[in-house]
Amino acid sequence: MTETWRAYGDDILTWRGSLTKRIDRRAIMRALIVFAVAALAVTLVSSVGTSAFAETSDTATIAASSSTVHADVETTDAEITVDESSGPGTNRVAQNVFNGLVFGLLLALASVGLSLIYGTTGLSNFAHGEQVSLGAMLAYFFATQQPVSIPLTPWEFVIGWPLWLASIAAIIVAGGTGWLQDRFLWSKLRKRNVKIVQQMIVSIGLSLAMLNLLQWWIGPDRVRVSIAIEERHQFGPIQLGSTTAMSIGISIAVLLGVGYFLLRTRLGRATRAVSDNPSLASASGIKVDGIIRLVWVMATSLAALGGILMAFYDSGTKFDVGARLLLLMFAAVTLGGLGQPFGALVGSLVIGVVVETSTLWLGPDLKYATALGILIIVLLVRPQGILGRAERVG
Amino acid sequence: MDLIYDLLREAIAPTTAAFALAAIGLNFHFGLTGLLNMGQAGFMLLGMYGYAIVVREGGPIWLGILAAIAAAAVFGLLLGWPTLKLRGDYLAIVTIAAAEMIRYLGRSQNLNALTGASTGIRGSDFKGSFEMLSPFPDEQVTIWVWTFHGTRSTSWWLLLVGWALVALFLLMFWRLSKSPWGRVLKGIREDEDAVRSLGKNVYSYKMQALVIGGVIGAIAGIVWALGASVQPDSMGRPTTFWIWTLLLLGGAATVFGPVLGSILFWCSLVLVKGLASLLIPESVLSTQELEPFSLMLVGIALMCLVIFRPQGVLGDKKELAFND
Amino acid sequence: MTDDMFADVKHEPGASKPDPIVVADKVHRHFGGLTAVDVEHFEVQRGAITALIGPNGAGKSTFFNLLTGFDKPQTGDWLFNGHSLKGVSPAKVARAGKVRTFQLTKALSRMTVLENMRLGASDQKGENFFYAFAKPLWADREEEITARAHVLLKRFKLYEKKDDYAGSLSGGQRKLLEMARALMSEPEMVMLDEPMAGVNPALTESLLDHIVELKQEGVTVLFVEHDMHMVRRISDWVVVMAEGKIIAEGPPSTVMQNEQVQAAYLGSHHDEDLSELPSADELHEEASE
Repeated sequence: MTETWRAYGDDILTWRGSLTKRIDRRAIMRALIVFAVAALAVTLVSSVGTSAFAETSDTATIAASSSTVHADVETTDAEITVDESSGPGTNRVAQNVFNGLVFGLLLALASVGLSLIYGTTGLSNFAHGEQVSLGAMLAYFFATQQPVSIPLTPWEFVIGWPLWLASIAAIIVAGGTGWLQDRFLWSKLRKRNVKIVQQMIVSIGLSLAMLNLLQWWIGPDRVRVSIAIEERHQFGPIQLGSTTAMSIGISIAVLLGVGYFLLRTRLGRATRAVSDNPSLASASGIKVDGIIRLVWVMATSLAALGGILMAFYDSGTKFDVGARLLLLMFAAVTLGGLGQPFGALVGSLVIGVVVETSTLWLGPDLKYATALGILIIVLLVRPQGILGRAERVG
Repeated sequence: MDLIYDLLREAIAPTTAAFALAAIGLNFHFGLTGLLNMGQAGFMLLGMYGYAIVVREGGPIWLGILAAIAAAAVFGLLLGWPTLKLRGDYLAIVTIAAAEMIRYLGRSQNLNALTGASTGIRGSDFKGSFEMLSPFPDEQVTIWVWTFHGTRSTSWWLLLVGWALVALFLLMFWRLSKSPWGRVLKGIREDEDAVRSLGKNVYSYKMQALVIGGVIGAIAGIVWALGASVQPDSMGRPTTFWIWTLLLLGGAATVFGPVLGSILFWCSLVLVKGLASLLIPESVLSTQELEPFSLMLVGIALMCLVIFRPQGVLGDKKELAFND
Repeated sequence: MTDDMFADVKHEPGASKPDPIVVADKVHRHFGGLTAVDVEHFEVQRGAITALIGPNGAGKSTFFNLLTGFDKPQTGDWLFNGHSLKGVSPAKVARAGKVRTFQLTKALSRMTVLENMRLGASDQKGENFFYAFAKPLWADREEEITARAHVLLKRFKLYEKKDDYAGSLSGGQRKLLEMARALMSEPEMVMLDEPMAGVNPALTESLLDHIVELKQEGVTVLFVEHDMHMVRRISDWVVVMAEGKIIAEGPPSTVMQNEQVQAAYLGSHHDEDLSELPSADELHEEASE
């Protein structure tokens, strides 16, 4: 199996060597034209917008949300971003790049799992965002000093565990949901030979159900997992909080662990073999179903960890935090090459930096839109992603 | 009794018609061609922006409709151009991402003057010229059991126009799906390469389907906006997923599936909420918990539908909505 | 009769034919470092049945895909009726009169057998979006092609099944349907990718008869096949591929005596191309047939 890995390495080298040849010139043309049209549209529209911006900015604060029966469940609040760039001696660009890398690392925790699931089963799991929210919500549920309850039961109680215990419990429960999902849903669908498209729509249904379950359970408001105010330290041009430093440490350690698992352990190599070619892996004696079950547990636990760390990083969380991240995860996974766990890591870092640095030029309410723009452009130029291999046709 | 009245009202409400229209559009995509458009709400949002902005700035109704159609058509072309040559799930990811991008752009403060940012565009800014055309009196009108306003917002006038559009596009779907054109689309749904090997330009047909379905989505958006207002956040991903649910509920690829699905979907939502508030005590399920509770059931219903009855209510058992 | 056409043709790779319908030159296709097809020169005689054989992984299917536009080679050019088909889309190749079938049958499951057939016909005005609205514009053509479909279905013994969904047919019947569908556009040449794979022996006979009938109607046939008995029974000329190259050509009676051919077949078990193994989905499809 080391050969397989080496093959990936070779592929990157050959890709570098013949970059211009491999990328279809027409694809670049297509991308450029689409990009130009989009940029033109945005510029035109926003020039109209900004010219009148000063006069109308007052009305924007009046929330005249004429809600109807069909009004959306997704809430409309602006993202609360921690303004870390205000300290003296802080370089805004460096700070944003740094924040982007941190955000990318946390995003990677979630998207690596998404990528592993895609690699081993072919499923684009739309419910993965809710797994992230679930982790954060569970951590809140176990840790908060507020009274909590379980849906359809009238009792309220306070659990109030310390953060570390609450986080571990949340990750274990979330991993358990991964196991349950695969045991009672996905493995059955695979056995019944249900097509991937159909499975994808099932995952959409699951995401809708989980999103609303979480809203019902925890409520529609923003909650704080930890009420401690973090200390900030100045390191050269950047500011770094102690909790954030710990989050960075944890996520790097966990990602290294995942890398070690995939590259150096027998199970990990088997996982990559299943990713490569399930029928061949099965023929060579690998228990494909067991591997996939493991991947589900891993992916959901990683997502939960990502959700918890993200809640610390943003100093707050909400039932739909994962739903907003889902598309960024897809962007990261596609950017890195669908089904390539290491690609997902690289893609997440790129997306993280893009999202955070875009706020230097664009409003913070457009930072997710930027990432989605990147996703679309990548699909135009190199649909197999940065680390993906060109698909063989026929 | 109130619940029954609510159900009857919901069954013919303009929003039900709007969602039926959007589902007819999706039926061109998914039912006929097998395209995974996960951004139908984006087409709707573009449609309502196109119409509302043109009309607000003093344009006539026809120009507003034209703007909506043009916006959706260009959006469809831009999305389809790069992705229709790739594997199917790429289209899903790109359409969902692009639809969300439209929403983020629409609610961005930079575009406040144009789109009203996250507040959206108030109904009074663009509904006037449409309501002027109403043949109904400007007051509450009761016909048999139903009472709606004659002309304003959720009115008999909008109801008439909405359902007339539904009928028109149903007719169009029926005619086209039974034509050689529809046959090529169905062939593509079953196996692109086979259709290619028979000399048809698959890419062009997929593009036609994507644009037509998207344009119908944009028109659905206008109907929706005329009943409420332009609200970017009401056209998020859940809206797309609801359209999918109701299409699969009624039966993809069938003529009447989208209409039946829309009626069943919205009526069962009302029914679930009504029954839950009647039967479950307030202490267990409070009023503000009803909405997520019933929408959670929608998600579960979507899963069960796809797993147990993919052909929907109207679908032929032999002609499953998915590959056998 | 057909033996005459090949009377002066040399028994060597890339031999030139008296009246070639397909001429290919220097077609090269590789995936990464793996060469799949490397054909120096290749001709197909008009009006004859030519078999393309070779061990697993010889590149037959890839070559087939290249000739029909489903895959693009790194270099090379090929002509059909004197017109270059290099870089031409599969749809245009089909419209030029060269129609193919697939190794794993592509019957359009949720369409009736008759609709499958109608889809195969060319020159349908009703396939244009705007014409499609007005039935009178395409009703006549629809009648014509339906009549032709009935004739072909009777010939292929599928007439009774015409209103059934294609998905309900057996594996062999799907092969027949695919062949019949390919004939709807009255092609000059049909290319059959393993027409006999997965077909039960009873149907094999009638399939072979149908292929011979095609030739009698003046259609050129090129087919890929594993089973040498089938090849010997119906083909006029055999082309052998191994490791992407054409290694021998000749009439079916003598070509298997060629030493290189025998070596290629015997040695093939050592270096089977794993990438040609069917994927899990395909295996399931085969199992369900």
